[in-house]
Amino acid sequence: MNAIALGGADFLREHLRARLTLALLVAIPALFVVASASVLGEFATALGGSVSGDSASALGAGWAAAFLAGALGFFQVSSSREADRRLALAGMGAARVAVARISASVALGVLISAVAFLTLLLSAGVTHPAHAFVAILIFALTYIGIGTLVGSFVSGALEGSLTVAFIFLIDAFSGPGMSDSGGIAQAMPTRKAADVLIDAGAGQGSPVGDWIAVGLIALGALALAAATFWLSARPRST
Amino acid sequence: MVLRASGVEKSFHRGVPPRRRRIEVLRGASLEVGRGELVGLVGENGSGKSTLMKIVVGLLERDAGKVERDGKLGYCPQVPLLWEKLTVDEHFELFARAYELAADDAASASESLLGELQFERYRGYRIEELSGGTRQKLNLALALMHSPDLLLLDEPYSGFDWETYLRFWEMSERRRDEGMGILIVSHFLSERERLDRIYELRDGRCMEA
Repeated sequence: MNAIALGGADFLREHLRARLTLALLVAIPALFVVASASVLGEFATALGGSVSGDSASALGAGWAAAFLAGALGFFQVSSSREADRRLALAGMGAARVAVARISASVALGVLISAVAFLTLLLSAGVTHPAHAFVAILIFALTYIGIGTLVGSFVSGALEGSLTVAFIFLIDAFSGPGMSDSGGIAQAMPTRKAADVLIDAGAGQGSPVGDWIAVGLIALGALALAAATFWLSARPRST
Repeated sequence: MVLRASGVEKSFHRGVPPRRRRIEVLRGASLEVGRGELVGLVGENGSGKSTLMKIVVGLLERDAGKVERDGKLGYCPQVPLLWEKLTVDEHFELFARAYELAADDAASASESLLGELQFERYRGYRIEELSGGTRQKLNLALALMHSPDLLLLDEPYSGFDWETYLRFWEMSERRRDEGMGILIVSHFLSERERLDRIYELRDGRCMEA
């Protein structure tokens, strides 16, 4: 247990010691929530959607968390794959390395969500703060799963970042309120979390079914991330 | 014997169709390392030395063959596998946990290796702040800190200055004399006199030279 806690703390520390990461942790939520709320409304209108005002600000906070979590999830896998494998081989084992990595990822997700949520709270306010925070966290956890999955297939930093950004853009611009909500939009990973977040931004609650759905999606994303970390720390065949 | 590998085969598939091709790297490679033995593994670039080492260590799956190891394993990879933002001390702590060393033993082992390899003053430095040679010293120290029975070294001295290179051989010989089995991948035939036995990897097989 101590080895996992130490590993998780070290993996978390590794990300938080990067100055650029810390700067982006503040700058990206500010950009998405403060600067782009009105632009999002115009985009939504152009795409056939209707999101605007406080709902757009709330959605911006979710996307900021998703973008940061996806990028950090990707780098958690791609940047230290070989070193993690060495640590597993030294006796820590792939399962314990994976648990340490997922602990660090969840801690990063909570931190990212807290910063995005605070930015939203300070800039636009939110009527249902607890709902909004949980929905933002779901965005982050979902993208931790996506980022780590991309990291397992793509090793290059540029290619991986672009892949995460590409998925993010499709997800964001086909989400509820941003388009006519048909076709592919229904299958997007943050669809339900976006519904909850838009409701929270507009001062409304969400149906129980939506909460169950976002819970299952978050658990699925974390399971995916854990499996990815575990496979990355195991001996490889090629 | 602390290590016995027999009939190890490995091939890789590279490229995409129609240019996809199979590259056979190891075709039944076998080698042995006994306790208190310093064994070299030499071969041309691309002969499969690092591939064989990774299979023996357990980092890479083999297609066929058998690998038997006895006792604690220490592995020093060719390229330092470290975490850029963590300090030297944090690496020692992390690996001490992985090796399940008691706190006192871990502290004593890291102190001793920092002194032996002469990089004590860098213990609070992050990896990104270290020179290539100092990274390599840490890479080696992490493989040694739990006093393994079998030490596998994949060109461990790249980046070392001459004095550190000589010190590395003194350290290896002393550990060999204490009973450690050591397998070292090397490029230099000039090191032949330092080694008890040498395997040359040629056409995917190990020949005792």
